[in-house]
Amino acid sequence: MPDAKGILLTRKHENIADFRVFVFSRTLIDRKQTGRYQFEMGNKNVLIIGGGTAGLSAAVELVNLDIHVDLVEKSDFLGGHAIGYTCKATRNTCVKCGACMVEEKLNDTMLHPKIKIWTGSRVQEVSKNGRFTAKIHCKPKYIDPHKCTNCRICFDKCPVDGAILHGFSKNNIPFYAINEELCLYLKDKSCGLCRDECPETAINLDPKATEYIKEADAVLVAAGFHPFNPEDKPYGYHRFQNVITSLDLERMLKQVGRVKRPGDATIPERIAFIQCVGSRDSKLNHLWCSKVCCGSALRMARLIKERQPDIDISFFYIDVQTFGKDFEQFYKDVQEEVRMIRAIPGDIYETDRQKLKINFLDNNTHETLEEIFDLVVLSIGIAPGKDNGEIAELLHLKLADSGFFKSGDEEASAPNTGIFSAGTISGAMSIPETIASAGKAARQIVKYFRANDS
Amino acid sequence: MKDKTLIFGNGPCAHYIAEDLLSTGEDIVIATTDKTCDFSPSEHSGSIEILTDTRLVSCRGAVGDFRILTARNNKEIKRTVAGVIVAEEDQRKSNFSQYGLIGSSNVITLSRMKELLLDSSHKQSIFLKAKKVVFLTGLVKESHPAIAEEIMHSALRLQSDFNLQTYILTANLKVAADGLEALCRETKEAGAVYIKFTDTRPEIHSKSNDSVQIEFVDEITLKKFRLTPDITVVDETIVPSDYAVDLAKLLSINTDPDGFVQADNVHRFTVFTNRKGIMVAGPSRSIQTCSDQITDAANAALVSAGRMADLQIVPEDRAEIDKGLCIRCLTCYRLCPYRAIMLNTRVVVEPHACERCGICAAQCPRGAIHIKDLEPESILNHMPKGYNPQKEVAFTPFIVAFCCSRSAVLARELSRCMGHELPSGLKVLEVPCSGSISLDHIFAAFKKNADGVLVLTCHEGNCHSERGNVYARQTVDQIADKFPRIGFEKDRIAIQTLASNMGTEFAEMVNRFEANIIELGPSRLKKNQ
Repeated sequence: MPDAKGILLTRKHENIADFRVFVFSRTLIDRKQTGRYQFEMGNKNVLIIGGGTAGLSAAVELVNLDIHVDLVEKSDFLGGHAIGYTCKATRNTCVKCGACMVEEKLNDTMLHPKIKIWTGSRVQEVSKNGRFTAKIHCKPKYIDPHKCTNCRICFDKCPVDGAILHGFSKNNIPFYAINEELCLYLKDKSCGLCRDECPETAINLDPKATEYIKEADAVLVAAGFHPFNPEDKPYGYHRFQNVITSLDLERMLKQVGRVKRPGDATIPERIAFIQCVGSRDSKLNHLWCSKVCCGSALRMARLIKERQPDIDISFFYIDVQTFGKDFEQFYKDVQEEVRMIRAIPGDIYETDRQKLKINFLDNNTHETLEEIFDLVVLSIGIAPGKDNGEIAELLHLKLADSGFFKSGDEEASAPNTGIFSAGTISGAMSIPETIASAGKAARQIVKYFRANDS
Repeated sequence: MKDKTLIFGNGPCAHYIAEDLLSTGEDIVIATTDKTCDFSPSEHSGSIEILTDTRLVSCRGAVGDFRILTARNNKEIKRTVAGVIVAEEDQRKSNFSQYGLIGSSNVITLSRMKELLLDSSHKQSIFLKAKKVVFLTGLVKESHPAIAEEIMHSALRLQSDFNLQTYILTANLKVAADGLEALCRETKEAGAVYIKFTDTRPEIHSKSNDSVQIEFVDEITLKKFRLTPDITVVDETIVPSDYAVDLAKLLSINTDPDGFVQADNVHRFTVFTNRKGIMVAGPSRSIQTCSDQITDAANAALVSAGRMADLQIVPEDRAEIDKGLCIRCLTCYRLCPYRAIMLNTRVVVEPHACERCGICAAQCPRGAIHIKDLEPESILNHMPKGYNPQKEVAFTPFIVAFCCSRSAVLARELSRCMGHELPSGLKVLEVPCSGSISLDHIFAAFKKNADGVLVLTCHEGNCHSERGNVYARQTVDQIADKFPRIGFEKDRIAIQTLASNMGTEFAEMVNRFEANIIELGPSRLKKNQ
């Protein structure tokens, strides 16, 4: 049987040993040495589909119980959507969004030798005959993680916007990846700039995809959600450059720390947040609240107000949802900084200088108002993952009508199938909720192993 | 010796945990203040003991060896357990006063409504006479999805089973829980009317004959309405039970501002507290729906069952108290966020409970506490002997940044990945928690020719040691306050907060600090110049 060694990422630390004086990492105890386990789990292996918050959290919990983990992530980077989220602390005070916890879970995952990481990989076939046998398809590894030093030259030299992707965490190793859809070399071999310019010769544009067979005792589906694509809504996303999604804003704040208009890189004077884009929408048959958007948007609005106090922010909403334990106070404070408008705009038009005109019904005057904004942020909801159907078919499961997996409590995955789910694959969840659901899944897996061994 | 887990509580969450732990052969003790406990586990392999009518008196010891003293009718019961889980239920406070109402037979709380709906004998009396039911929720203070869920379920039953007209008056309708938006639609289809208020509020008048009159202007149609409900249901505020609050005190667990038995800190996700071996699950830690409780229970069981392996190794790098120097001032005992300081015949550190944050060592007035590798001297040894920039080039300040291992160190690495330029004279000193930085550390850095010292900590409320960043700030403020008096620039020392995912901000902070130091010029404390 082929071994995964070829693609297993070693925990290559940056060449910064000279900078760090002494390393304090939370001690990772190799519990095998102690020889005193609650249960003998050392021969068990769990296949986790999805390397986002849920997959990482579950992996960390499982290896802590001496269970081996194969973590399969379809994209080039671990961490899911949440690894791109910005820290939303204001006034030097944490607002408990949980974004840094994802970073911590990823850090723990990278440190643990018993987690095998398969980035850029997909599970293609799963069969069960006692244990599970899975075929894992790995797309070519264009950038050698052992050689890459994150010098960014490839990213800067690449002539095509978006053909080289970058990670969001120092634990995204390598930090850069080739986007197969846009790379010119992969299209017609017309460019090879990144390979030629790489001072470490870390880039090889001709490797082959590989396939591996892995065995597992249980499968955990943690493939996450799909951020709602607002192109179908009349808000001009992708048509107007200055209409962005909340996810775009998260990444912008994480990388640049300030808001700028994508259209012309100027600082906007007026920003509008539009909530519930793709959530609570009966026309789309999205009969759920995405739970996280109010918190994310209002926290970001406050962060922007703190860093760029001259920006006016308006917040269009249906109902403000409770988030965080200090919501009452937060909501009071934010209402003083942000103009709250309880209306959802009908459509958006572009006016001169790429400004955006929004029509909405004003609550006080009961007239339709027309206002001009420089930037519009669409708070896009949590929609079912695009691969949900495929994964369900792979595992012979049925999806709920909403397109999400049925949650564990509904026992879609009957307790003895050895298939478990965690995270936003079964509906909207915040980061803390996702971590909790991963913990629950880990416990279910332990119990499943116990029940089937005795 | 098998280790036992003590579970406080007698509600669904406590029972889920008990069932879960027993099923994998753990031994448990359930302690409840209730007179009876109807918990009857299905097939299990662990042992179970149930202590009813029992209250906690004290808890000594640390993870792996908690010595629990409880009392039943003034009779003491002692147990030794390895871990503790607090899984008490919450309690409800009626919100009558918020709406200027007084409870009566037709002005009732949401809990009362739930009782009435469960109790079939009441069908005749109250619901048959009534026509209109009004629910008041979230109009004065913000509501919660857990409350909204109960209101929607009640409204649905009243509409469909009793054919009553229900009105739900609210400000922000809370639907951020699983299935709530769909449930809301269902209630609307069943005939429930939702009236939402934004800038206005309904006027609620309570009449002498216990009837209620509600007048309001509908914000959409601008029409005036008057409702005279036969039953008015007022929402409730969910608060932790009094016993849970007592438990938090007795177990020395930090609570959140509302008194729930878990500090509002991301490092406590999901069931952790500031004390190793003590967990909190279910409605004791936050407002929860039923499915949240099941998730919490599984998490508590997961951590509880995985605990034993941790206790096998005695960590050697924890804090140690020099008994010759210790004067038993108990500063460490008061400040230790993890309650790892034990008062036995002398003051000692329990290594399993110690998280090596270094707060005790930094704050000990006698310098009696030592942690391997965290002494100012050992940090000195790692510093370059001297920093001698070449005369010709411009002044490159030597900046020492004390960075918290959980935030700033990771942010620095991210900053490098993102390709940010960092000052060439920057030296990062990693500390487990910024609370471990003492005056000595900072002076040591200046002594070692630092031109500036930057302390980078976690954001407030994000410190794993709860207040380590606060202590660091006090230390820095104290020094910055004294510097001008001795003729030294106070801007040479600064403190900033950030999180592990703030690479851009890290670069901004250190570069801004470098610019400040360049303006100030080399430190006068520098030797060999």
